[in-house]
Amino acid sequence: MDTPTFLAHLQTHDTPLTLPRGGALRWDDADLHRAVHARDAEEYALLGLAPGARPWQRARVLLQILAASQAGLDERARAVPARAVPARAVPARVVRVLTLGLPPAHVITVLLALRRLRANHKHTTRAVLRFVLEHPHADALIAARRPALLDCFEHALGTTTARGCARRIDAGDTASDYLRRRLLRFLTAPTAAASARVRALYTPDPANNPAHDPAAPAAVPASVDGHATTVLDRPVLPVDTPRPHPPTVTVTDRGDIAATLVHLYRDGPTEDLYVALCRHVGAAAAAFPRFEGTLALVLDASASMRGHGDREWAPLSQAAALRMVLSQVCARLEVIEVGGDERAPRGATDLATGVLDALGTDPDLVAVVSDGYENLFPGDLARVVAALPRAGVTTPVVFCHVMFTGGDDLRLRRPAPSLPQRGFWHQDDFAELLPWMFAHCPAGAPWLRAALHARLDALDRQADDLTPGLAA
Amino acid sequence: MTQMTALDTLVPGPLSLAGHRLGTPQQAGALTMVPISGPAHPGFAPPRTGLHLSGVPGYGRVELTNTAATGVAIVPLHIGYIQDRAQNHALCRSAFLTPGQSLLFEDACCVQAGQGGHLTGRDQWFFVLPLELRARALDLRGLHDYPKLWDDIADLNARHGLPRRGHLEQILSRRRPMLTQFQSRLELLPGQVGALFLVADRFAGLEIAPDPAYFAEMWAPLTCFAYGVAAWHAEPTPPNGPPNGPRTGPRTGPRTGARGALRLRAGEDGTAGLRAALERARAARLADIGARLAAVPTGPVELREEDRHLDLRLSTVTAPHLAGQIVTRHDRTVYASLFAR
Repeated sequence: MDTPTFLAHLQTHDTPLTLPRGGALRWDDADLHRAVHARDAEEYALLGLAPGARPWQRARVLLQILAASQAGLDERARAVPARAVPARAVPARVVRVLTLGLPPAHVITVLLALRRLRANHKHTTRAVLRFVLEHPHADALIAARRPALLDCFEHALGTTTARGCARRIDAGDTASDYLRRRLLRFLTAPTAAASARVRALYTPDPANNPAHDPAAPAAVPASVDGHATTVLDRPVLPVDTPRPHPPTVTVTDRGDIAATLVHLYRDGPTEDLYVALCRHVGAAAAAFPRFEGTLALVLDASASMRGHGDREWAPLSQAAALRMVLSQVCARLEVIEVGGDERAPRGATDLATGVLDALGTDPDLVAVVSDGYENLFPGDLARVVAALPRAGVTTPVVFCHVMFTGGDDLRLRRPAPSLPQRGFWHQDDFAELLPWMFAHCPAGAPWLRAALHARLDALDRQADDLTPGLAA
Repeated sequence: MTQMTALDTLVPGPLSLAGHRLGTPQQAGALTMVPISGPAHPGFAPPRTGLHLSGVPGYGRVELTNTAATGVAIVPLHIGYIQDRAQNHALCRSAFLTPGQSLLFEDACCVQAGQGGHLTGRDQWFFVLPLELRARALDLRGLHDYPKLWDDIADLNARHGLPRRGHLEQILSRRRPMLTQFQSRLELLPGQVGALFLVADRFAGLEIAPDPAYFAEMWAPLTCFAYGVAAWHAEPTPPNGPPNGPRTGPRTGPRTGARGALRLRAGEDGTAGLRAALERARAARLADIGARLAAVPTGPVELREEDRHLDLRLSTVTAPHLAGQIVTRHDRTVYASLFAR
C-alpha cells in the first residue's frame, strides 16, 4: 500500500482493537500495518502522528511498534544516508507521544494485546513500565483499571520478577541491585511515587491506594467539550488540536485567510485587509516545511466557485487561501485558472483542459482544486485521467474538493471518481490536506518526512512539559 | 461551438433571433444547456430586483408591482412565488408592467392544495413552473379557477414518487437540495442572454431575456425549477457511497458521461496526443448535439397577440413542437420563453 492510501486508511478506519475474553486479539488490518512497518519502521512510526489519524489507528501503530522487534533496525537505516538520528530513536519518541496522546483506555488495550501476543522486547518492557508507573495520571489509572495494569506490569517484567520487585518495594527497598537491574533501569526517574504505584498494583483495597491525582479523578466523570469523560478517555497530550464545531458555518467562519478574502472580495481592497492577509498567510505557511518540487494547481475559477446567497465567496475564498499558502510553501507553483480568475470567477468549467495545461508545466504533482461541478464536456476529466498511462504520462494528479462544510454531499461533484480526492472547507484542513497531496509524488517524500519530524519535535516538547524528566 | 442554424429551425417564420448565437453546451446530468449570446435590449426591469409580489388578496389572485424607477418589466412566463403566510401561486402568462404599476392577475393558479406548510426562507423568492406543467398552465391562462392546476401537479408528484397531492412544494422543497445544485452545476456565462435547454438529449426549452442582467436573475428559477425538475427525474441515481470524505482510488464506476479513456491514435502520446484526442472527442459531441437540435420536429408557428406596450408586443406562440410566449419589438425578439410540448 502506498503512503497516501495508508494515510487515508489511518484517517478513516477507526474500528477498535478488541480482546475477547479467552480469544485472540481482533486486529482487522494487522497485515497492512505489518507490511508498512516492515517497509520503513521510521516512516511508519511518523505516519502514526499524521494530522487526522484516528485514535484507534494510532493505537494500532503503537501496538505494531511495541510488538515488533527492533533487531536490524539501525543496520537497515544506515543504508539511508539522509537520516541523521538512530533508527530506534524515532519509534521510541513516537511511542512516548502516543502513550500520552491516546486515551489511556486505548493504551491499556494495546498493552493487554502485547501480553496476548507475548511480545516482550526490551523496548516493549520500557514502554509498558513507563506508562503504568510514570503516566501523569498513573495513580488514577491504577485506581480505575488495577487488574489490567497489574497484568501489563507482570507481563512486562515476567510474573516472578514483578512479584519479586513488589515484595522488595513493600519491604522498603528503593535502590537495591535487584530492583535497579530488573525494574528501575526501565524508568526515566525512579521515584517514591513509582514505588508507591507498584504497591498499589498489588493492593486490591482502593483505600490503600496513593492519593488520587486531583486533576484526574478516576471515578468522577469530567467534561470536555460537553462530553462526559473519565481519566481513561482523556489523553493528556492532544496530538491533534481540537476543532470547534460551530452550529452554523458562515462564509467568514472558515479560517482567517478566507475570512479576510471574503471581505476583500465583498468590500474592495483596503490596506488593513492586505496587511492582515499577508500576516495570516505567513502564519499558516510557517507551519509547513518547504516543498522543493513543482506543484501545478488547476484552480477552478468558474461562476459556481463564487457561490451564491449566504454562501457567496465561500468556495473561492477557501481555494484562494490554499493557493496563497501553497505559493509560500512550494519552491515552484504553477497556477492554471479555469473559467475566470481568482478575483472574477466566471464562466464554465473545463477541468480536462486545465489538467492538460498543468501537465505541460512539467510538474511533480498536479492538484485540481474545484467544487467538482464539471459542466463543459462533463466526463472529460475522467477520460483524460484514464488515458494518462497510455499516453505515457506518469505525473500524479489529485483532486481537492472545495466544500462549504465538512458535511457537503459530493455525490454529484466527483467528476473523476478514479482520482484520489479529498475535501476541505476550513483553513485548519490544510494540515491534513497538504501531507495527503504531497504524499502522492516522489518529491513529496522528504517533505512529508520533514513535516512529520517537525510535528514529532513539537509533540515531544509538549510531552517534556507534561512529564519533566520523562525522556523517550 | 460551430455556428448552428438550430435557432432558426426551432423558431422559424416571424420570430427573428438575428444576432443571437449559440455557445458551447454545458451539461449536468440529464440537463444540457446551450448558452445564447446576442444583442442586449436595455431599459427593462429585471424580474427579481424590479418585480415585487405586492399581495395575494385571495385564491387565484396575485398582485405584482414594478418597483423599478425606470424600465418596463416583462413578467416572466410561469413565474411563481413562495412566500410566508400566504398560499403559493404561479402565473399562467406573461405581462408588461410600467414603472410603479401594480397589476392584479386574477387567473393565477394556486399551487398548494390546502394548507401544506410553507418553504422557509428569509427572502421572497420565485420559481418558474416545471416544464411538465407549462403547456397546461399556458392553456389555462385567462381562466379564473385557482385550483385549475392541482390535478396536473398531483400527477407530477406521483411521477416523482411523492404523494398524489396538488402541492408543488412537495417537489420544490423535498428536492430542493438537489434542484438548487443546478444553478452551480451549470454556469452562467458573461454576456449570456438566453439558453437552449435539453433534457435527456431532447429539446426542452428556449429562453431569451432582454439583457444579461435580466437573464442572470432568471438563471436559478430556470435551471433549478423550470428544467431542473424534469432533468433530475431523468437523471440516473447518484452513485452510492459516502456523501463526502477522502477517496483514494476508484470505488464506483465512472459517472454518466465518462465513457472510459480518450481514444489515442497510433503515434499519439504525451499531452499533445491527449489534446488531439480531446479535441476530436469534443467535436464529435458538438456535432451530436447539433444534430439533435436539427432533428427537432417543426411545423407552422401560430402567433396570437396578447398585450402591447408602446412598440412592444406580447404574443403567445403555438406550434406542434413547442409553445410559449414572446415579446417582440419591430419583429425583433426581446424576450422568449418557449418550451417543448
